[in-house]
Amino acid sequence: MAIHPRKNWYELTRTTNWTPSYVTEEELFPEQMSGHMGIPLQNWEGYDEPYKTSYPEYVSIQREKDSGAYSVKAALERAKIYENSDPGWISILKAHYGAIALGEYAAVTGEGRMARFSKAPGNRNMATFGMMDELRHGQIQLFFPHEYCKKDRQFDWAWRAYHSNEWAAIAAKHFFDDIITGRDAISVAIMLTFSFETGFTNMQFLGLAADAADAGDYTFANLISSIQTDESRHAQQGGPALKILIENGKKKEAQQKVDIAIWRAWRLFAVLTGPIMDYYTPLEHRKQSFKEFMYEWIVGQFERALIDLGLEKPWYWETFLKDIDELHHSYHMGVWYWRSTAWWNPAAGVTPEEREWLEEKYPGWNSHWGECWDVITDNVINDRMELVSPETLPTVCNMSQIPLVGIPGDNWDVKVYSLEHNDRLYHFGSEVDRWVFEQEPEQYQNHLNFVDRFLAGHIQPMDLDGALHYMGFQSVEELGKDAHDFAWAEKCKPSNTKSA
Amino acid sequence: MSLFPLHAALEKDFLVQLIPVDDADTMDQVAEKVAYHCINRRVKPRDGVMRVCRHQTTVPFPRSMTVAESGLKPTEIIDVIFE
Repeated sequence: MAIHPRKNWYELTRTTNWTPSYVTEEELFPEQMSGHMGIPLQNWEGYDEPYKTSYPEYVSIQREKDSGAYSVKAALERAKIYENSDPGWISILKAHYGAIALGEYAAVTGEGRMARFSKAPGNRNMATFGMMDELRHGQIQLFFPHEYCKKDRQFDWAWRAYHSNEWAAIAAKHFFDDIITGRDAISVAIMLTFSFETGFTNMQFLGLAADAADAGDYTFANLISSIQTDESRHAQQGGPALKILIENGKKKEAQQKVDIAIWRAWRLFAVLTGPIMDYYTPLEHRKQSFKEFMYEWIVGQFERALIDLGLEKPWYWETFLKDIDELHHSYHMGVWYWRSTAWWNPAAGVTPEEREWLEEKYPGWNSHWGECWDVITDNVINDRMELVSPETLPTVCNMSQIPLVGIPGDNWDVKVYSLEHNDRLYHFGSEVDRWVFEQEPEQYQNHLNFVDRFLAGHIQPMDLDGALHYMGFQSVEELGKDAHDFAWAEKCKPSNTKSA
Repeated sequence: MSLFPLHAALEKDFLVQLIPVDDADTMDQVAEKVAYHCINRRVKPRDGVMRVCRHQTTVPFPRSMTVAESGLKPTEIIDVIFE
Protein backbone atom coordinates (compact mmCIF):
# COMPACT_ATOMS: atom_id res chain seq x y z
CA MET A 1 0.00 0.00 0.00
CA ALA A 2 1.35 3.41 -0.93
CA ILE A 3 2.21 5.71 1.95
CA HIS A 4 1.02 9.28 1.60
CA PRO A 5 3.72 11.93 2.04
CA ARG A 6 3.67 13.41 5.54
CA LYS A 7 2.90 16.91 4.34
CA ASN A 8 -0.45 15.68 2.99
CA TRP A 9 -1.78 14.62 6.36
CA TYR A 10 0.38 16.06 9.15
CA GLU A 11 -1.63 19.23 9.79
CA LEU A 12 -4.91 17.33 9.92
CA THR A 13 -3.78 14.54 12.19
CA ARG A 14 -1.98 16.64 14.76
CA THR A 15 -4.84 19.14 15.06
CA THR A 16 -6.29 17.43 18.09
CA ASN A 17 -8.16 20.29 19.74
CA TRP A 18 -11.85 19.77 20.20
CA THR A 19 -14.67 21.55 21.94
CA PRO A 20 -15.06 19.96 25.37
CA SER A 21 -18.62 19.22 26.44
CA TYR A 22 -18.23 17.24 29.68
CA VAL A 23 -15.89 19.82 31.23
CA THR A 24 -15.18 23.45 30.59
CA GLU A 25 -12.14 24.58 28.61
CA GLU A 26 -10.66 25.90 31.85
CA GLU A 27 -11.12 22.54 33.54
CA LEU A 28 -9.42 20.81 30.63
CA PHE A 29 -6.56 23.31 30.57
CA PRO A 30 -6.31 24.88 34.05
CA GLU A 31 -4.28 28.08 33.98
CA GLN A 32 -1.96 26.89 36.74
CA MET A 33 -0.82 23.91 34.67
CA SER A 34 -1.34 25.30 31.18
CA GLY A 35 -0.16 28.90 31.47
CA HIS A 36 -2.36 30.00 28.58
CA MET A 37 -2.84 33.50 30.09
CA GLY A 38 -6.51 33.52 29.12
CA ILE A 39 -5.79 33.11 25.41
CA PRO A 40 -8.58 30.89 23.99
CA LEU A 41 -8.08 27.47 22.47
CA GLN A 42 -8.57 28.49 18.84
CA ASN A 43 -5.83 31.15 19.04
CA TRP A 44 -3.33 28.46 20.03
CA GLU A 45 -4.13 26.51 16.87
CA GLY A 46 -1.98 29.01 14.97
CA TYR A 47 1.07 27.53 16.73
CA ASP A 48 3.33 26.46 13.89
CA GLU A 49 6.17 24.21 14.94
CA PRO A 50 9.10 24.67 12.56
CA TYR A 51 10.18 21.02 12.79
CA LYS A 52 7.61 18.42 11.85
CA THR A 53 7.94 14.69 12.20
CA SER A 54 5.79 11.59 12.49
CA TYR A 55 6.14 8.77 14.98
CA PRO A 56 7.55 6.23 12.45
CA GLU A 57 10.09 8.79 11.24
CA TYR A 58 11.00 9.69 14.80
CA VAL A 59 11.55 6.09 15.86
CA SER A 60 13.61 5.32 12.79
CA ILE A 61 15.91 8.32 13.26
CA GLN A 62 16.29 7.80 17.01
CA ARG A 63 17.19 4.17 16.47
CA GLU A 64 19.96 5.25 14.13
CA LYS A 65 21.24 7.80 16.64
CA ASP A 66 21.27 5.32 19.49
CA SER A 67 22.95 2.59 17.49
CA GLY A 68 25.60 5.11 16.39
CA ALA A 69 26.39 6.27 19.92
CA TYR A 70 26.38 2.77 21.46
CA SER A 71 28.46 1.37 18.57
CA VAL A 72 31.15 4.01 19.01
CA LYS A 73 31.19 3.29 22.75
CA ALA A 74 31.56 -0.45 22.16
CA ALA A 75 34.23 0.01 19.51
CA LEU A 76 36.33 2.34 21.64
CA GLU A 77 36.14 0.55 24.97
CA ARG A 78 39.66 -0.73 24.41
CA ALA A 79 40.92 2.81 23.92
CA LYS A 80 41.08 3.05 27.73
CA ILE A 81 39.97 6.66 27.88
CA TYR A 82 39.79 6.57 31.65
CA GLU A 83 43.36 5.32 32.00
CA ASN A 84 44.90 7.38 29.23
CA SER A 85 43.23 10.77 29.49
CA ASP A 86 44.46 13.80 31.38
CA PRO A 87 42.83 13.86 34.87
CA GLY A 88 41.32 17.24 33.97
CA TRP A 89 39.37 15.57 31.19
CA ILE A 90 38.09 12.82 33.50
CA SER A 91 36.87 15.55 35.85
CA ILE A 92 34.91 17.06 32.98
CA LEU A 93 33.14 13.76 32.41
CA LYS A 94 32.24 13.45 36.10
CA ALA A 95 31.02 17.04 36.41
CA HIS A 96 28.99 16.75 33.20
CA TYR A 97 27.25 13.46 34.01
CA GLY A 98 26.39 14.45 37.58
CA ALA A 99 25.08 17.86 36.59
CA ILE A 100 23.18 16.80 33.49
CA ALA A 101 21.97 13.18 33.53
CA LEU A 102 19.12 13.47 36.03
CA GLY A 103 18.30 16.98 34.89
CA GLU A 104 17.24 15.22 31.70
CA TYR A 105 14.70 13.25 33.72
CA ALA A 106 13.34 16.52 35.11
CA ALA A 107 13.00 17.64 31.49
CA VAL A 108 10.81 14.57 30.82
CA THR A 109 8.37 16.08 33.33
CA GLY A 110 8.49 19.42 31.55
CA GLU A 111 7.89 17.88 28.15
CA GLY A 112 5.08 15.81 29.68
CA ARG A 113 3.48 18.96 31.05
CA MET A 114 3.48 20.54 27.59
CA ALA A 115 2.25 17.29 26.01
CA ARG A 116 -0.78 17.31 28.33
CA PHE A 117 -1.51 20.92 29.20
CA SER A 118 -0.42 23.12 26.30
CA LYS A 119 -3.40 24.47 24.42
CA ALA A 120 -1.40 24.33 21.17
CA PRO A 121 -1.78 20.98 19.35
CA GLY A 122 1.59 21.41 17.64
CA ASN A 123 3.23 21.96 21.00
CA ARG A 124 1.60 18.85 22.44
CA ASN A 125 2.75 16.77 19.48
CA MET A 126 6.35 17.98 19.59
CA ALA A 127 6.46 17.62 23.36
CA THR A 128 5.46 13.97 23.10
CA PHE A 129 8.58 13.40 21.04
CA GLY A 130 10.53 15.70 23.36
CA MET A 131 9.50 13.55 26.31
CA MET A 132 10.99 10.50 24.62
CA ASP A 133 14.10 12.51 23.72
CA GLU A 134 14.69 13.38 27.35
CA LEU A 135 14.14 9.80 28.49
CA ARG A 136 16.83 8.74 26.04
CA HIS A 137 19.17 11.46 27.31
CA GLY A 138 18.68 10.46 30.91
CA GLN A 139 19.23 6.78 30.21
CA ILE A 140 22.22 7.11 27.91
CA GLN A 141 23.99 9.56 30.23
CA LEU A 142 23.57 7.13 33.09
CA PHE A 143 24.61 4.09 31.08
CA PHE A 144 27.84 5.58 29.70
CA PRO A 145 29.38 6.63 33.04
CA HIS A 146 28.21 3.41 34.71
CA GLU A 147 31.11 1.45 33.24
CA TYR A 148 33.52 3.74 35.13
CA CYS A 149 31.88 3.25 38.57
CA LYS A 150 33.96 0.17 39.28
CA LYS A 151 37.12 2.20 38.66
CA ASP A 152 36.18 5.44 40.34
CA ARG A 153 33.40 6.01 42.89
CA GLN A 154 32.94 9.64 41.84
CA PHE A 155 31.24 8.41 38.65
CA ASP A 156 28.41 7.08 40.84
CA TRP A 157 27.45 10.73 41.25
CA ALA A 158 26.05 10.65 37.73
CA TRP A 159 23.07 9.02 39.42
CA ARG A 160 23.48 10.30 42.95
CA ALA A 161 24.01 14.04 42.53
CA TYR A 162 20.37 15.01 42.13
CA HIS A 163 19.40 12.83 45.08
CA SER A 164 21.90 14.61 47.31
CA ASN A 165 22.33 17.92 49.12
CA GLU A 166 25.69 18.62 47.50
CA TRP A 167 25.89 22.36 46.80
CA ALA A 168 26.20 22.16 42.98
CA ALA A 169 23.34 19.68 42.90
CA ILE A 170 21.24 22.08 44.98
CA ALA A 171 22.07 24.85 42.48
CA ALA A 172 21.07 22.67 39.52
CA LYS A 173 17.87 21.45 41.18
CA HIS A 174 16.87 24.98 42.21
CA PHE A 175 17.28 26.15 38.61
CA PHE A 176 15.55 23.20 36.94
CA ASP A 177 12.71 23.24 39.46
CA ASP A 178 12.25 26.91 38.62
CA ILE A 179 12.10 26.50 34.85
CA ILE A 180 10.66 22.97 34.58
CA THR A 181 8.95 21.18 37.43
CA GLY A 182 7.64 24.32 39.14
CA ARG A 183 6.15 25.91 36.02
CA ASP A 184 3.15 25.63 33.72
CA ALA A 185 3.32 24.25 30.16
CA ILE A 186 3.82 27.55 28.32
CA SER A 187 6.42 28.72 30.84
CA VAL A 188 8.29 25.45 30.24
CA ALA A 189 8.14 26.07 26.48
CA ILE A 190 9.68 29.52 26.98
CA MET A 191 12.02 28.98 29.91
CA LEU A 192 13.27 25.47 29.21
CA THR A 193 13.17 25.10 25.47
CA PHE A 194 13.66 28.65 24.16
CA SER A 195 15.80 30.20 26.89
CA PHE A 196 17.83 27.23 28.04
CA GLU A 197 17.98 24.60 25.31
CA THR A 198 18.39 26.91 22.34
CA GLY A 199 21.71 28.30 23.41
CA PHE A 200 23.12 26.85 26.57
CA THR A 201 22.78 23.18 25.69
CA ASN A 202 24.34 24.00 22.33
CA MET A 203 27.41 25.23 24.15
CA GLN A 204 27.56 22.32 26.59
CA PHE A 205 26.85 19.61 24.03
CA LEU A 206 28.45 20.94 20.83
CA GLY A 207 31.15 23.21 22.24
CA LEU A 208 32.28 20.51 24.63
CA ALA A 209 32.03 17.88 21.86
CA ALA A 210 34.67 19.80 19.92
CA ASP A 211 37.01 19.71 22.92
CA ALA A 212 36.18 16.01 23.50
CA ALA A 213 37.08 15.02 19.95
CA ASP A 214 40.31 16.96 20.21
CA ALA A 215 41.10 15.22 23.50
CA GLY A 216 40.55 11.85 21.78
CA ASP A 217 37.34 11.01 23.68
CA TYR A 218 35.25 10.17 20.63
CA THR A 219 32.77 8.19 22.72
CA PHE A 220 31.80 11.28 24.73
CA ALA A 221 31.97 13.55 21.66
CA ASN A 222 29.62 11.23 19.79
CA LEU A 223 27.27 10.86 22.75
CA ILE A 224 26.75 14.54 23.41
CA SER A 225 26.52 15.42 19.71
CA SER A 226 23.81 12.76 19.40
CA ILE A 227 21.91 14.38 22.28
CA GLN A 228 22.20 17.84 20.83
CA THR A 229 20.48 16.78 17.59
CA ASP A 230 17.39 16.08 19.73
CA GLU A 231 17.81 19.30 21.69
CA SER A 232 17.98 21.42 18.57
CA ARG A 233 14.66 19.89 17.44
CA HIS A 234 12.63 20.10 20.62
CA ALA A 235 14.16 23.49 21.55
CA GLN A 236 12.02 24.87 18.75
CA GLN A 237 8.87 24.62 20.84
CA GLY A 238 9.44 27.93 22.59
CA GLY A 239 9.58 30.23 19.55
CA PRO A 240 6.03 29.56 18.27
CA ALA A 241 4.67 29.82 21.83
CA LEU A 242 6.30 33.23 22.23
CA LYS A 243 4.80 34.28 18.89
CA ILE A 244 1.27 33.39 20.08
CA LEU A 245 1.78 35.29 23.34
CA ILE A 246 3.06 38.38 21.53
CA GLU A 247 0.20 38.29 18.98
CA ASN A 248 -2.25 38.15 21.87
CA GLY A 249 -0.88 41.10 23.80
CA LYS A 250 1.27 39.20 26.27
CA LYS A 251 4.71 40.45 25.23
CA LYS A 252 5.54 41.82 28.68
CA GLU A 253 4.80 38.49 30.36
CA ALA A 254 6.74 36.59 27.69
CA GLN A 255 9.74 38.91 27.99
CA GLN A 256 9.80 38.46 31.77
CA LYS A 257 9.99 34.69 31.48
CA VAL A 258 12.76 34.90 28.89
CA ASP A 259 14.72 37.36 31.03
CA ILE A 260 14.47 35.20 34.16
CA ALA A 261 15.44 31.96 32.46
CA ILE A 262 18.37 33.27 30.41
CA TRP A 263 19.92 34.84 33.49
CA ARG A 264 19.47 31.79 35.68
CA ALA A 265 20.84 29.48 32.97
CA TRP A 266 23.83 31.79 32.56
CA ARG A 267 24.80 31.67 36.23
CA LEU A 268 24.56 27.86 36.37
CA PHE A 269 26.57 27.38 33.19
CA ALA A 270 29.16 29.86 34.38
CA VAL A 271 29.98 27.52 37.26
CA LEU A 272 29.62 24.29 35.30
CA THR A 273 30.96 25.02 31.83
CA GLY A 274 33.23 28.00 32.49
CA PRO A 275 35.82 26.14 34.60
CA ILE A 276 35.57 23.07 32.34
CA MET A 277 36.44 24.98 29.21
CA ASP A 278 39.02 27.44 30.56
CA TYR A 279 40.72 25.43 33.31
CA TYR A 280 40.02 21.67 33.16
CA THR A 281 40.43 21.01 29.44
CA PRO A 282 44.12 20.44 28.78
CA LEU A 283 45.56 23.55 27.16
CA GLU A 284 46.52 21.80 23.93
CA HIS A 285 42.94 20.58 23.44
CA ARG A 286 41.12 23.87 23.96
CA LYS A 287 39.30 24.90 20.79
CA GLN A 288 38.07 28.24 22.06
CA SER A 289 37.84 30.05 25.36
CA PHE A 290 34.59 29.93 27.32
CA LYS A 291 34.10 33.59 26.44
CA GLU A 292 34.53 32.87 22.72
CA PHE A 293 32.05 29.98 22.96
CA MET A 294 29.61 32.23 24.82
CA TYR A 295 29.75 34.91 22.15
CA GLU A 296 29.43 32.43 19.31
CA TRP A 297 26.78 30.09 20.75
CA ILE A 298 24.82 32.24 23.17
CA VAL A 299 25.16 36.00 22.73
CA GLY A 300 24.81 36.14 18.94
CA GLN A 301 22.16 33.45 18.84
CA PHE A 302 19.93 35.10 21.44
CA GLU A 303 20.31 38.55 19.94
CA ARG A 304 19.12 37.21 16.57
CA ALA A 305 16.35 35.02 17.99
CA LEU A 306 14.94 37.77 20.22
CA ILE A 307 14.91 40.34 17.45
CA ASP A 308 13.29 37.86 15.04
CA LEU A 309 10.47 37.27 17.51
CA GLY A 310 9.90 40.94 18.26
CA LEU A 311 11.23 40.72 21.81
CA GLU A 312 13.88 42.92 23.38
CA LYS A 313 17.30 41.98 24.65
CA PRO A 314 17.00 41.40 28.43
CA TRP A 315 17.34 44.64 30.40
CA TYR A 316 20.54 43.35 32.00
CA TRP A 317 22.38 42.62 28.70
CA GLU A 318 25.35 44.89 29.47
CA THR A 319 25.76 43.29 32.90
CA PHE A 320 25.60 39.87 31.23
CA LEU A 321 28.34 40.77 28.72
CA LYS A 322 30.56 42.06 31.53
CA ASP A 323 29.90 38.87 33.51
CA ILE A 324 31.16 36.74 30.62
CA ASP A 325 34.62 38.23 31.10
CA GLU A 326 34.74 37.77 34.86
CA LEU A 327 32.31 35.53 36.68
CA HIS A 328 33.58 32.03 35.92
CA HIS A 329 37.14 32.84 37.00
CA SER A 330 35.91 33.51 40.52
CA TYR A 331 33.53 30.55 40.44
CA HIS A 332 36.45 28.36 39.41
CA MET A 333 38.61 29.57 42.26
CA GLY A 334 35.78 28.85 44.68
CA VAL A 335 35.16 25.35 43.35
CA TRP A 336 38.87 24.58 43.45
CA TYR A 337 39.42 25.99 46.94
CA TRP A 338 36.34 24.18 48.34
CA ARG A 339 37.17 21.16 46.13
CA SER A 340 36.40 18.55 48.78
CA THR A 341 32.72 19.51 48.40
CA ALA A 342 32.64 18.55 44.69
CA TRP A 343 31.98 15.07 43.26
CA TRP A 344 34.72 15.68 40.71
CA ASN A 345 38.38 16.67 41.01
CA PRO A 346 38.83 20.28 39.91
CA ALA A 347 41.94 20.98 37.85
CA ALA A 348 43.66 24.19 38.95
CA GLY A 349 44.69 25.09 35.39
CA VAL A 350 47.21 27.75 36.41
CA THR A 351 50.62 26.64 35.17
CA PRO A 352 52.67 29.48 33.65
CA GLU A 353 51.59 28.42 30.14
CA GLU A 354 47.94 28.27 31.17
CA ARG A 355 48.15 31.66 32.87
CA GLU A 356 49.65 33.11 29.72
CA TRP A 357 46.67 31.74 27.77
CA LEU A 358 44.22 33.15 30.34
CA GLU A 359 45.87 36.56 30.19
CA GLU A 360 45.67 36.53 26.38
CA LYS A 361 41.99 35.50 26.38
CA TYR A 362 41.03 37.68 29.36
CA PRO A 363 43.37 40.70 29.53
CA GLY A 364 43.92 41.68 33.16
CA TRP A 365 43.46 38.13 34.50
CA ASN A 366 46.87 38.18 36.20
CA SER A 367 46.22 41.36 38.14
CA HIS A 368 42.91 40.03 39.46
CA TRP A 369 42.63 36.25 39.83
CA GLY A 370 46.36 35.81 39.28
CA GLU A 371 47.06 37.66 42.53
CA CYS A 372 45.07 35.09 44.52
CA TRP A 373 46.54 32.16 42.60
CA ASP A 374 50.04 33.55 43.39
CA VAL A 375 49.33 33.11 47.10
CA ILE A 376 47.78 29.66 46.61
CA THR A 377 50.67 28.51 44.41
CA ASP A 378 53.25 29.76 46.88
CA ASN A 379 51.54 27.80 49.64
CA VAL A 380 51.53 24.62 47.56
CA ILE A 381 55.18 25.01 46.57
CA ASN A 382 56.19 25.55 50.21
CA ASP A 383 54.02 22.72 51.51
CA ARG A 384 51.70 24.94 53.52
CA MET A 385 48.80 22.69 52.60
CA GLU A 386 46.70 23.70 55.61
CA LEU A 387 46.27 27.06 53.84
CA VAL A 388 44.95 25.67 50.55
CA SER A 389 41.77 24.25 52.02
CA PRO A 390 38.93 26.17 53.66
CA GLU A 391 37.88 26.31 57.29
CA THR A 392 34.51 27.97 56.79
CA LEU A 393 31.70 28.04 54.24
CA PRO A 394 31.39 30.46 51.35
CA THR A 395 28.27 32.61 51.52
CA VAL A 396 25.78 31.43 48.93
CA CYS A 397 23.38 33.38 46.70
CA ASN A 398 19.72 32.92 47.57
CA MET A 399 18.89 32.64 43.87
CA SER A 400 21.72 30.88 42.02
CA GLN A 401 22.75 28.86 45.12
CA ILE A 402 26.36 29.52 44.08
CA PRO A 403 28.88 31.42 46.24
CA LEU A 404 28.82 35.22 46.26
CA VAL A 405 31.90 36.31 44.35
CA GLY A 406 33.43 39.37 42.75
CA ILE A 407 36.68 40.54 41.24
CA PRO A 408 39.76 40.06 43.43
CA GLY A 409 43.08 41.89 43.36
CA ASP A 410 43.40 45.29 41.70
CA ASN A 411 40.26 47.41 41.63
CA TRP A 412 38.70 44.99 44.07
CA ASP A 413 34.99 44.67 43.39
CA VAL A 414 32.87 42.30 45.48
CA LYS A 415 29.28 43.45 45.63
CA VAL A 416 26.30 41.71 47.21
CA TYR A 417 22.68 42.70 46.63
CA SER A 418 20.62 42.10 49.75
CA LEU A 419 16.90 42.22 50.38
CA GLU A 420 14.84 42.07 53.54
CA HIS A 421 11.61 40.25 52.81
CA ASN A 422 9.08 39.03 55.39
CA ASP A 423 11.63 39.61 58.16
CA ARG A 424 14.24 37.44 56.47
CA LEU A 425 17.51 38.75 55.05
CA TYR A 426 18.34 37.38 51.60
CA HIS A 427 21.66 37.87 49.76
CA PHE A 428 22.10 37.78 46.00
CA GLY A 429 25.17 37.65 43.78
CA SER A 430 23.89 40.26 41.36
CA GLU A 431 21.24 42.89 40.83
CA VAL A 432 19.60 40.51 38.36
CA ASP A 433 19.37 37.61 40.83
CA ARG A 434 17.63 39.96 43.26
CA TRP A 435 15.33 41.19 40.47
CA VAL A 436 14.38 37.59 39.66
CA PHE A 437 13.42 37.03 43.30
CA GLU A 438 11.38 40.22 43.37
CA GLN A 439 9.35 39.17 40.32
CA GLU A 440 7.84 36.17 42.15
CA PRO A 441 8.88 36.07 45.82
CA GLU A 442 6.41 33.26 46.53
CA GLN A 443 8.29 31.04 44.08
CA TYR A 444 11.56 31.37 46.02
CA GLN A 445 11.06 32.76 49.52
CA ASN A 446 10.85 29.49 51.46
CA HIS A 447 13.96 27.88 50.00
CA LEU A 448 16.98 27.57 52.28
CA ASN A 449 20.38 27.72 50.65
CA PHE A 450 23.24 25.63 51.98
CA VAL A 451 24.41 28.26 54.49
CA ASP A 452 20.83 28.92 55.64
CA ARG A 453 20.53 25.19 56.37
CA PHE A 454 23.83 25.24 58.23
CA LEU A 455 22.74 28.16 60.40
CA ALA A 456 19.32 26.57 60.95
CA GLY A 457 21.02 23.53 62.49
CA HIS A 458 20.12 21.09 59.72
CA ILE A 459 23.77 20.12 59.38
CA GLN A 460 25.29 18.27 62.31
CA PRO A 461 27.93 18.39 63.55
CA MET A 462 28.35 22.02 62.48
CA ASP A 463 31.73 21.55 60.86
CA LEU A 464 33.23 20.50 57.54
CA ASP A 465 32.75 16.79 58.25
CA GLY A 466 29.12 17.40 59.09
CA ALA A 467 28.70 19.43 55.90
CA LEU A 468 30.28 16.72 53.75
CA HIS A 469 28.08 14.06 55.33
CA TYR A 470 24.99 16.23 54.78
CA MET A 471 25.99 16.66 51.13
CA GLY A 472 25.88 12.89 50.68
CA PHE A 473 29.53 11.93 50.39
CA GLN A 474 29.93 8.32 51.51
CA SER A 475 33.68 7.90 51.55
CA VAL A 476 36.94 9.84 51.37
CA GLU A 477 37.50 8.60 47.79
CA GLU A 478 34.42 10.49 46.67
CA LEU A 479 35.59 13.88 47.93
CA GLY A 480 36.97 16.20 45.29
CA LYS A 481 40.70 16.75 45.29
CA ASP A 482 43.15 18.55 43.04
CA ALA A 483 42.90 16.75 39.69
CA HIS A 484 46.66 16.57 39.21
CA ASP A 485 47.57 16.09 42.86
CA PHE A 486 49.27 19.51 42.77
CA ALA A 487 51.81 18.41 40.13
CA TRP A 488 51.06 21.68 38.29
CA ALA A 489 52.76 23.63 41.08
CA GLU A 490 56.10 22.06 40.11
CA LYS A 491 55.97 24.00 36.85
CA CYS A 492 55.40 27.20 38.82
CA LYS A 493 58.58 26.96 40.88
CA PRO A 494 60.85 29.90 40.12
CA SER A 495 63.56 27.52 38.92
CA ASN A 496 61.16 26.06 36.33
CA THR A 497 59.57 29.22 34.98
CA LYS A 498 60.90 30.83 31.85
CA SER A 499 62.58 34.16 32.27
CA ALA A 500 60.70 36.97 30.56
CA MET B 1 28.15 36.51 74.91
CA SER B 2 26.63 34.55 72.11
CA LEU B 3 27.50 33.32 68.66
CA PHE B 4 26.74 35.85 65.96
CA PRO B 5 26.99 34.81 62.27
CA LEU B 6 28.17 37.41 59.80
CA HIS B 7 29.11 37.25 56.14
CA ALA B 8 32.31 39.03 55.22
CA ALA B 9 34.42 40.07 52.25
CA LEU B 10 38.04 41.06 52.79
CA GLU B 11 39.62 43.61 50.47
CA LYS B 12 41.28 41.96 47.43
CA ASP B 13 39.74 38.51 48.11
CA PHE B 14 37.34 37.02 45.58
CA LEU B 15 34.33 36.05 47.66
CA VAL B 16 32.12 36.46 50.72
CA GLN B 17 32.42 33.90 53.52
CA LEU B 18 30.44 32.91 56.59
CA ILE B 19 32.30 34.17 59.65
CA PRO B 20 30.97 33.15 63.05
CA VAL B 21 31.88 35.85 65.60
CA ASP B 22 30.78 36.63 69.12
CA ASP B 23 28.49 39.55 69.81
CA ALA B 24 31.01 40.74 72.43
CA ASP B 25 33.83 40.85 69.86
CA THR B 26 35.25 44.26 69.02
CA MET B 27 35.56 45.30 65.40
CA ASP B 28 39.30 44.63 65.56
CA GLN B 29 38.56 41.08 66.70
CA VAL B 30 35.99 40.67 63.95
CA ALA B 31 38.55 41.84 61.37
CA GLU B 32 41.06 39.30 62.68
CA LYS B 33 38.51 36.49 62.44
CA VAL B 34 37.72 37.43 58.86
CA ALA B 35 41.39 37.77 57.95
CA TYR B 36 42.12 34.27 59.26
CA HIS B 37 40.08 32.85 56.37
CA CYS B 38 41.63 35.10 53.69
CA ILE B 39 45.13 36.42 54.45
CA ASN B 40 47.92 34.04 53.44
CA ARG B 41 45.29 31.83 51.80
CA ARG B 42 44.39 33.94 48.78
CA VAL B 43 45.38 37.45 49.82
CA LYS B 44 48.95 38.56 50.47
CA PRO B 45 49.65 40.02 53.91
CA ARG B 46 49.88 43.80 53.77
CA ASP B 47 50.59 46.76 55.99
CA GLY B 48 47.80 48.82 57.42
CA VAL B 49 45.02 48.59 59.94
CA MET B 50 42.04 46.45 59.10
CA ARG B 51 38.71 48.20 59.52
CA VAL B 52 35.20 46.81 59.45
CA CYS B 53 32.44 48.54 57.46
CA ARG B 54 28.90 47.66 56.55
CA HIS B 55 29.01 46.19 53.06
CA GLN B 56 29.55 48.76 50.33
CA THR B 57 29.95 51.64 52.76
CA THR B 58 33.12 53.61 53.42
CA VAL B 59 32.73 54.75 57.03
CA PRO B 60 34.20 52.07 59.31
CA PHE B 61 32.84 51.16 62.70
CA PRO B 62 35.01 52.37 65.65
CA ARG B 63 37.69 49.74 66.28
CA SER B 64 36.67 49.10 69.87
CA MET B 65 32.93 48.94 69.17
CA THR B 66 31.43 45.52 69.81
CA VAL B 67 29.21 43.65 67.44
CA ALA B 68 26.32 44.00 69.87
CA GLU B 69 26.79 47.78 69.93
CA SER B 70 27.14 48.12 66.17
CA GLY B 71 23.54 47.52 65.17
CA LEU B 72 24.62 44.81 62.74
CA LYS B 73 22.02 42.11 62.20
CA PRO B 74 22.83 38.41 62.20
CA THR B 75 23.90 37.28 58.69
CA GLU B 76 24.45 40.86 57.53
CA ILE B 77 27.37 41.44 55.16
CA ILE B 78 30.45 43.35 56.21
CA ASP B 79 33.58 44.46 54.38
CA VAL B 80 37.06 44.40 55.88
CA ILE B 81 39.25 47.03 54.30
CA PHE B 82 42.79 48.26 54.93
CA GLU B 83 43.56 51.77 56.14
